[in-house]
Amino acid sequence: MEIKSSDNESFRHVYSEVFPIVMRVAYHVTYNMDVSEDICQEAFIRFYEKNISFRSVDEAKYWLIRVTKNLSINVIKRKSREQAVVEKIKKTPSVTVRNGEEALINEETRLLVRDAVEKLPEKLKSVLVLKEYADLNYKQIAEILHISESNVKVRVHRARKIMESMLDREEMHVS
Amino acid sequence: MCLDDQILNTYLDGELAEPWRTQVAEHLNYCPACNARYEQLRILHKVVSSSRLNEEEIAPYQQKVLKFIENNYVNKRKKIGFIHRNFRVSMPMVLATAAAFVFVLAGAFLFQGKPAGTLGEIIPQVASSTQPGSVVQVRTTEGLASSRFLESYSLEEILQYLDAKGYEVDVRIKGIKPVGTILNQAPFKAPEKTDTPVANEDVDLEASPLEPGQPSEGTAE
Repeated sequence: MEIKSSDNESFRHVYSEVFPIVMRVAYHVTYNMDVSEDICQEAFIRFYEKNISFRSVDEAKYWLIRVTKNLSINVIKRKSREQAVVEKIKKTPSVTVRNGEEALINEETRLLVRDAVEKLPEKLKSVLVLKEYADLNYKQIAEILHISESNVKVRVHRARKIMESMLDREEMHVS
Repeated sequence: MCLDDQILNTYLDGELAEPWRTQVAEHLNYCPACNARYEQLRILHKVVSSSRLNEEEIAPYQQKVLKFIENNYVNKRKKIGFIHRNFRVSMPMVLATAAAFVFVLAGAFLFQGKPAGTLGEIIPQVASSTQPGSVVQVRTTEGLASSRFLESYSLEEILQYLDAKGYEVDVRIKGIKPVGTILNQAPFKAPEKTDTPVANEDVDLEASPLEPGQPSEGTAE
């Protein structure tokens, strides 16, 4: 199915399918909901305005993920320069949708994971976020990041190794 | 440890190709150490993956952003009328159209209502600055008639010269025989000799007494 990004029907179709994925990518790179919202908005506006033809929904999805990831990386690069200011306004999603003891444990674990992901070097972070939060396979990640599949494999492994060592220091609660 | 973490991670992600996938699966069945390590990696993956932003958290943002884009981009584009629409025309196209327009206009102004005879007044004439009488054709070989080469004589001139010297020359083209001789000939027989004695079957130009620097009188330029 060919996708024309300025065609209203195509746009809505891609939007409903891809928005949750790009929102997750933006969030797990920046860990700020408002910033992620702006990034996703910017990515979809570019998508709509550029009037690009894609061979399939997947191609459009890869394009959007690539743009979102680049915008998110730019934000965290800027953020590292303005660390003190951003720390104050950092926002996390509300936890009201979860309840009970299990949810509380998960929320604790969530914060630990989030801190670990934030500390990953940029190259490993991009690969891990696309793998764990965008549900993409090695081939798709390779296509989005313009790297080889074996490179993706190595980066996933290295990212998990670092994640493990960081999470090991804390007590991990896994259900 | 028998299997390294990278292989286990690749297996965990379902990215390990056959036949290694089956081999790893079999190995995990009987190797407790590898199995324990695999379990740790699986839990790590689950912990990381399950701390994702969930659907309920995304939904309000999804609606909000869509509404913003629809109000500011999608619906705005619909309202743009024909006059305000942006037309994109390539530069060469514009230039070609302008050139054609100028050409047609200029033609209309120049030739409007003029009889054919007066066209000479309109169309600028290019006058040559050279006088016809002063143009002299120069042939580089003119003064060098004495140094004509053998190649510059035509066959006719050569024959004329030889004839004047008293030679009788029979000219033949190799492989082609006079019609009369073919008719009289039996197959595979040597050609009959003609009555006239021939000095040479082919014209041997090198053997001719014609020498460079000795032009014959009969050979005009």
